[in-house]
Parts: sequence; C-alpha cells; structure tokens
Amino acid sequence: MQLARKEEIFAKDGNKTYSLMAIVEGESLHVERGPENTVQTWPHLMVRELLLFLVVLLAILGVSLLFNAPLEEAANPLHSTNPAKAPWYFVGIQELVSYSAFLGGILVPAAIVVGLLLLPYLDRSPKGIGVWFSADRKLANTLFTVFVVAMVVLIFIGQFLRGPNWIIRWPW
Amino acid sequence: MNDATYSVKDAIKQLPTNIKQSFTRREAGTAEQEQAATVFGNLFLHLHPVRVHANALRPSYTMGLGLISFFLFLILVVSGILVMFYYTPSTELAYRNMKDLEFAVSFGIVLRNIHRWSAHAMVAMVFLHMCRVFYTGAYKAPREFNWVIGVCLLLVTLFLSFTGYLLPWDQLAFWAVTVGSNIASYMPWIGDKIRFLMLGGNEVGQMALLRFYVMHVALLPLVAVVLVGVHFWRIRKDGGLSRPTEE
Ligand code: HEM
Repeated sequence: MQLARKEEIFAKDGNKTYSLMAIVEGESLHVERGPENTVQTWPHLMVRELLLFLVVLLAILGVSLLFNAPLEEAANPLHSTNPAKAPWYFVGIQELVSYSAFLGGILVPAAIVVGLLLLPYLDRSPKGIGVWFSADRKLANTLFTVFVVAMVVLIFIGQFLRGPNWIIRWPW
Repeated sequence: MNDATYSVKDAIKQLPTNIKQSFTRREAGTAEQEQAATVFGNLFLHLHPVRVHANALRPSYTMGLGLISFFLFLILVVSGILVMFYYTPSTELAYRNMKDLEFAVSFGIVLRNIHRWSAHAMVAMVFLHMCRVFYTGAYKAPREFNWVIGVCLLLVTLFLSFTGYLLPWDQLAFWAVTVGSNIASYMPWIGDKIRFLMLGGNEVGQMALLRFYVMHVALLPLVAVVLVGVHFWRIRKDGGLSRPTEE
C-alpha cells in the first residue's frame, strides 16, 4: 500500500478537515497543488452535462419531427440505381475509387487509418497542449487542415456533383 | 450494543430515511461532503472525479463534442432497441417493417427518424471531436493511447452506421452496400475473400442482411460500449482533460 508508506511525509493535521486520500503517479488534478483550480463535479460539471444532453435530445427530436428519413422503393438486385452511391461518409472514398480502385479503395483509407494511429507516436513535442491552433504547431495544424479539407471536398464532389454514370454535373 | 434500542416501532418511523440512505449510500455531512458523495457514491457518476479542473468546464475548449457523441450514442441505443421490436432481418419482411413503422405504428416514423438522424449526427460529431482533439494538441503524452482508442471508436462508429444502412432493405440501402462492399474487394489477393466473409456470399442477399444485422445490433454496440468505457476511464487516469500548462 502506497498510502501507508507515504503517510508520515504528509503527516495528518488534526486541525484540517481534509486528508490525503491516495498518491498517484504522473500529472493529475491534485498533484503539487491544492484544489484551487478545481470545482466540485456535482453540481458544476454535471449540471452542464445534463443541460447539454437536453439540448442534444431536443435538437434530434426537432429534426425528427420536421424531416423524414429517406426510404426508397424495396431493394431490387436486378435493377441498379444510377448513380449508386455509398453512404455520405464513404462517398469521398468512392470518389477516389473512381480515379483508381486500388489507390482510392485500399491505399488511401489504409494510409489514413495508420497515419491517425501513429500520429501521437510521431509527434512527440509537448508544445501547444491545451491551446486551440497553437502557434507552436503550425506545421501539424496545416497538414491536418489539408487532410480535413481534402476529405470534405471529396465528399462534396461525390455527394453533390456526381450524376448518373458518375459524370460531373451541377447539383441543380 | 443494547438490544433494547431496536424496536419495530422506531424502525417503521425511520423507514423512509433508512431506505433512502441504503439506496444512495449516503449519510448526512457538510454540503461539500454531500456533493462529493453524489459523485463517488454512484456507480454511473463515479467515472468523474469529485473535483474537476475549471478548464474542463470551458465550453469553448471541448465544445462538448465528445460528450455530444456519447449522448447521441445513448439516444441511438434507446431508439435502436425500440426499432428492434418492429424489425425482422429478412429480405421478405424488412422493407415491409419499415413501411409499417411509417404508417401503422404510433410515432413509428418519428422513432425511425430519431434513429436515422442521430446516426448521421454521431458520425459527424465524432469526426469533429477528433478535429478538436487534434487542434488542441490533446493527443500528446500522456494521452497517446486514448487517441488510439479514439481512432478505434471512429472506425466502430463508421461500421455501425454502415451496417445499419443496409437494414431498411430499400434501393438506397441495397446499392450503397453493394458499392461499399465492392471497395473491400479491391484489396490485393484477399479482397474477394473479405467481401465474401462480409456478405456471407458473393452478392448482397439474405445472408448479408443477417450478418449486417447481427453486427449492427450485437457485436459492434458491445465493442463500442467497452471502448467508450475505456476511453472515459483513460481520461481520468491521464489526469483529466488536457489544459495549457500554468506557471
Ligand atoms: C464514439 C466516439 C467517441 C466518444 C463517445 C468520445 C467521448 C469523449 C469524451 C466525452 C471526452 C471528454 C472531452 C470532450 O467531451 O471532448 C473525450 C476526450 C477525448 N477523446 Fe474522445 N470520444 C470518441 C471518439 C474519439 C476519437 C475518434 C478520438 C481521436 C481519434 C478521440 C480522442 C480523445 C482524446 C485524446 C480525448 C482527451 C482529450 C483531452 O484530454 O483534452 N475520441 N472523448
């Protein structure tokens, strides 16, 4: 028990209403600082969480009352839709597949997944944690933005600009 | 202990207090102690620490995106269970079940809409949550592995959505999944085998519908629940949410 061993270092003070409960390794909320920068989880955090839940629920309810989920004719394996599109989140990949099946269907998706998995092990600099768009991370931010914009553009092209026979056309 | 102090009459008088205390595992204390007990005395709430850093509360920091993803997941579980009461994973019946939801079941169409729109929203919100984590550098040590769990969650979310896409068995579903599963077959050597495994055949048919259904209602949700549990546990173990270093 770590607690028992450390007890004499953090000797109990009869005048205090709090005591040391546990010692954990690493950077944690209470290490080397009192509870000054912290607030009670209940009510401060949890009330906000509950509020957010209500907002999400109301938003989904509102949308669901206004718009119906699509339902086309019953599936017919003999009669393909033209164009046949993947769900929107895969349409970017489908767009790439229309250029090259192997490149778009296998290489790029695999590279994205492997790249994402390795990211925290490749970028070891501790700079810029906890700050939006930190100036210390210009390169990383730029590269990631290029990735996000590329995904969005590909999905947009695939979803809105591709007509029958996968030919580019204006969406109107 | 004195036996005389225990009388049934007193027990009945104290019944409400005693039941309440045994249920909440709580005894009276100072306001602060009671607030703390609210969190750590509850199986579901004690994933939170009793106190959190003020930075975690800034809406402009997390934008609540991870939490929104989680709430959408909860809504999906509840609405999904309700939809299951009306759904049969059969090529003969699935589409008719959809029509019944629309025209015969009270509020069936709203139920289906909730499930559908939450699913789309969850894919988008999980992606945006990943962007937030990236742009705030929150994946850096000691949170590397939670990012890895996050990437797995992103994939599970995509597969959950994709397997659900087939279930209405309409033209949209059928051809989208045909296109999607064809992509897998472009893998060199094993592509066709993977596609066969996925569809339980060479084409999207009854076997594919059953496989997608089992994945969608049992396997993938289970994986998602476990991963979300580990994800949240790691947030605590990694020292709470990331925040700027203070001098
Ligand atoms: C089903 C999907 C997911 C759920 C329900 C989820 C939920 C959460 C929640 C509730 C938080 C607390 C902070 C916040 O609300 O932003 C969080 C933090 C975090 N998430 Fe996720 N997440 C998901 C997917 C992901 C993905 C795709 C990634 C990255 C690839 C990721 C990486 C992280 C990291 C690194 C943290 C810690 C952030 C920090 O310390 O500032 N998560 N997640």
